[in-house]
Amino acid sequence: MASSSSSLPSPSSSSSKKFILRSSDGKHFEVDEAVALQSEMIKQMVEDGFGGDVIPLLNVSSIVLSKVIDYCKKHVELDFKKKMDGDNEAHEEIKNWDSEYINVGVDELYHLIMAANYLHIKGLLDLTCQKVADIIKGKQPEQIRKIFNIENDFTPEEEQEIRKEHSWAFE
Amino acid sequence: MGQSVSTAGIPSASNRRDSINPSHRTKNRSMGSISPVQVDVTPELQNVDGTCDYISDLPDECLACIFQSLGSGDRKRCSLVCRRWFRVEGQSRHRLSLKAESDLQPLIPSLFSRFDAVTKLALKCDRRSVSIGDDALLQISLRCRNLTRLKLRACRELTDAGMEAFVKNCKGLKKLSCGSCMFGAKGMNAILDNCSFLEELSVKRLRGITDGAAAKPIGPGVAASSLKIICLKELYNGQCFGPLIAGAKNLRTLKLFRCSGDWDKLLEAIADRVTGLVEVHLERIQVSDIGLAALSSSLDLEILHLVKIPECTNAGLVSIADRCKLLRKLHIDGCKANRIGDEGLIVVAKRCPNLQELVLIGVNPTSLSLGLLAANCQNLERLALCGSDTIGDAEISCIAAKCMALKKLCIKSCPVSDHGMEALASGCPNLVKVKVKKCRAVTCEGADWLRACRGSLAINLDIGEVEHQDASASDGGAQENGVEFPPMVTQIAASDIPSSSSGRSTMFKSRLGLFAGRSLVACTFRRWSSSNSNSQNNY
Repeated sequence: MASSSSSLPSPSSSSSKKFILRSSDGKHFEVDEAVALQSEMIKQMVEDGFGGDVIPLLNVSSIVLSKVIDYCKKHVELDFKKKMDGDNEAHEEIKNWDSEYINVGVDELYHLIMAANYLHIKGLLDLTCQKVADIIKGKQPEQIRKIFNIENDFTPEEEQEIRKEHSWAFE
Repeated sequence: MGQSVSTAGIPSASNRRDSINPSHRTKNRSMGSISPVQVDVTPELQNVDGTCDYISDLPDECLACIFQSLGSGDRKRCSLVCRRWFRVEGQSRHRLSLKAESDLQPLIPSLFSRFDAVTKLALKCDRRSVSIGDDALLQISLRCRNLTRLKLRACRELTDAGMEAFVKNCKGLKKLSCGSCMFGAKGMNAILDNCSFLEELSVKRLRGITDGAAAKPIGPGVAASSLKIICLKELYNGQCFGPLIAGAKNLRTLKLFRCSGDWDKLLEAIADRVTGLVEVHLERIQVSDIGLAALSSSLDLEILHLVKIPECTNAGLVSIADRCKLLRKLHIDGCKANRIGDEGLIVVAKRCPNLQELVLIGVNPTSLSLGLLAANCQNLERLALCGSDTIGDAEISCIAAKCMALKKLCIKSCPVSDHGMEALASGCPNLVKVKVKKCRAVTCEGADWLRACRGSLAINLDIGEVEHQDASASDGGAQENGVEFPPMVTQIAASDIPSSSSGRSTMFKSRLGLFAGRSLVACTFRRWSSSNSNSQNNY
């Protein structure tokens, strides 16, 4: 797990620059430059001159980080493919891979959102947030509370007040 | 790829603890900077009761990002989950659509302090209810100074004075759409004089400008130079927008639907001023070849819809085709007047090599023009032929043999038979979709045979006997079902109305035909052409 540079069939494979990412629990991950730069945060760090040695990612555990790296690798690969094979096919493949990838439990989803937000990986953030939205869609407030274990901290009066406002808003 | 991560093993304590601290939910935890060092602790398992509440710990911006993918109804329900969701939902809401009845007014302060980031607002009133008045609109404008889009529907109590007061606070408006309102030229001019960023103006049935013979001119105002899209529908005195249109030097899209009066003069008057038009829709208005000739000075014209304009003839189409060489999409509903046919289309074929989409309704082209179109317009990908008496098997064979780029073909109410289907089986190598509707001579066997020959081709055949059912389903379900053309019955009914005459009875009659006429062309290729679906009504 720890050094997980892989054999990418992409242009950036053997010769390209590598980065070492350190997870919050101290594990090291070696990744290709293109994979690391999927993260806007890392990109910014590299631009600011931090890319030389190990890049510490204080908010991301090794388990989550390896999953995030999976995402970035695949998207580098697919982006390359998109350039080669044209948009349509690659688009379909990205869609299928993403939907498989995001098929995870709520807990893991949470950690992925936090990591995507921290590392500023827009594609992953959109994907994860969309997944949560899909869970919420069509559900009543009570069901949503139950799924996410959220306490209802409204008073009945407040709730009624909000419902009254809502009767003025179109769906 | 894809090491599976066991849920319980995710180290989570630090994230969870921190995010309970409210300071951690603010934007400064965001991207691009290195967060202060956090000591990671040992993994924490799930809550004692086995559920998890991680999602509720997400920072505000992530929660807002989730809400962004939800529609208004889901957002409403989310805001009832807990106080924090209520707050985040309210602050991150940019679009709001409100019932604009007079009783809304007392709620305006609380509503707009809750939704304090609204930039796109729709105020719609029921026809039978009393709408909000000037005062309410003023209150809203004071609380929504960043408004970029406003849509007003049947807000009949709003007056010129109300619009004048509103616009003083909302000068950043980029898009205004108003329908069935009662204010007039003065209110409209107030908008145009103040909104220097206005890009899109849509006006439908604005009653205030219909009074009297001497209608006040509207525009140009400061908005004229920023306007890119103007759409006028069902206006008696639509012509009073003349100064605005003439002053809109950067106008790219002009749509005129059922507006009475002679539009040739206006088109002539703007010919040498408004030359950047890319898209023009003319539907049931009084325009003749003179107007089309004037329009041809828009050399960049790419999209032209001529729908039920009986006075336009081949000569008009020729003048357009001659000069507008970039024409990409052409829709003609000739309402069976037979004034536009081969002669005009041949010139289109010769002069407009970029043609990508051609829709002909109630037009009678023959192999003469179709053959040339096929040969010269090598990008012709979408073709619809509807209610054409001349489109038979020979014509389909011609298309099949020559239209190499054709991807989608729709044939409706044409005297085509199974032989035409046979021709398609061996032609048009790029064809992906065929629709055949109400062509009595095409049988299920013919379609099945075509299916068998062209495995990857999507074939949609609607044969005679379902006609009745189809008619009843077409009004509401046209888009959803992907029916590209409403049934012939309504089409013919609608086309009986002369568009050249003006006056109340015509307007009334044409309103009767509204349903049919509106869905007719609007639905055609709605799915096929995604590039310019930016028009109005996007709330």
